[in-house]
Amino acid sequence: MDFVILSIVLLGLGVYGLLTQRHLLKVFISIELVATAATLNFVMLASSLSREVGEAFLILAFSTDTCVSAVILALLVIASRKYGTTDISKIGEPEEEETFEVDA
Amino acid sequence: MLLELVSAGVVISACLAIFLDEAVYSVAALAGAFMLTSLLYALNGAIYVAVFQFAVGVGTVAVLFLSGETLSEKPLTKTQPKQLVVLGVLGALLSLPAFFFSVSKQNGATYSVPFGEALWGYRALDVVLQGLVVMTVALGIAIVLYRKKKIVKRSVKQ
Repeated sequence: MDFVILSIVLLGLGVYGLLTQRHLLKVFISIELVATAATLNFVMLASSLSREVGEAFLILAFSTDTCVSAVILALLVIASRKYGTTDISKIGEPEEEETFEVDA
Repeated sequence: MLLELVSAGVVISACLAIFLDEAVYSVAALAGAFMLTSLLYALNGAIYVAVFQFAVGVGTVAVLFLSGETLSEKPLTKTQPKQLVVLGVLGALLSLPAFFFSVSKQNGATYSVPFGEALWGYRALDVVLQGLVVMTVALGIAIVLYRKKKIVKRSVKQ
């Protein structure tokens, strides 16, 4: 069960990155780290229990992970093109409206 | 001891990937984390998973390098050597649990079921379904790109 600690550290780093980082790529990297932590947990548990079925299951998890990564990356590219920024806090903000001066 | 060192390397690379300012350096650190994770799997006897992790990691990093160049704006501050040292120390501190609670393999990996049989005997339905999902995603991307190309062609003609 020792590898659980390592994956918890990785998971913590990923979640911390998700909560604090503003750059879109950093958010993506954080998601990748969270996925790696989950995978690590699976693999090491399967390895320590000497079960090949766990590793076979992991191959499928990898393909899902890759699909998820591709979709997230596509969304990031679309968002950065649409809003013209890679700062996640600025995405979704209303654009500056024109102000009209009213003569008194 | 080797496993503990590799585990520490994974944590340090993960720290660098998250906290470095420049996106390209972060991607390089992530590449390091992927490679070390793959090595960790291989050292634990999970060779197939290590190969898959390596392949997936290389693909992800290649795409990230390409998109990182186009997406990232120039950071206001460049990464200082002092910052690198601080991040290295932080990573080393975070990897201390891996040293205290030894991550060395507890027992030898003696598999009762061969890998091929495990994959096709127990998870054949999953494999086929995953193939369908991947094919659907690929088809969806192809259709979207085709439509986009058609729209661009129309606008050029007009």
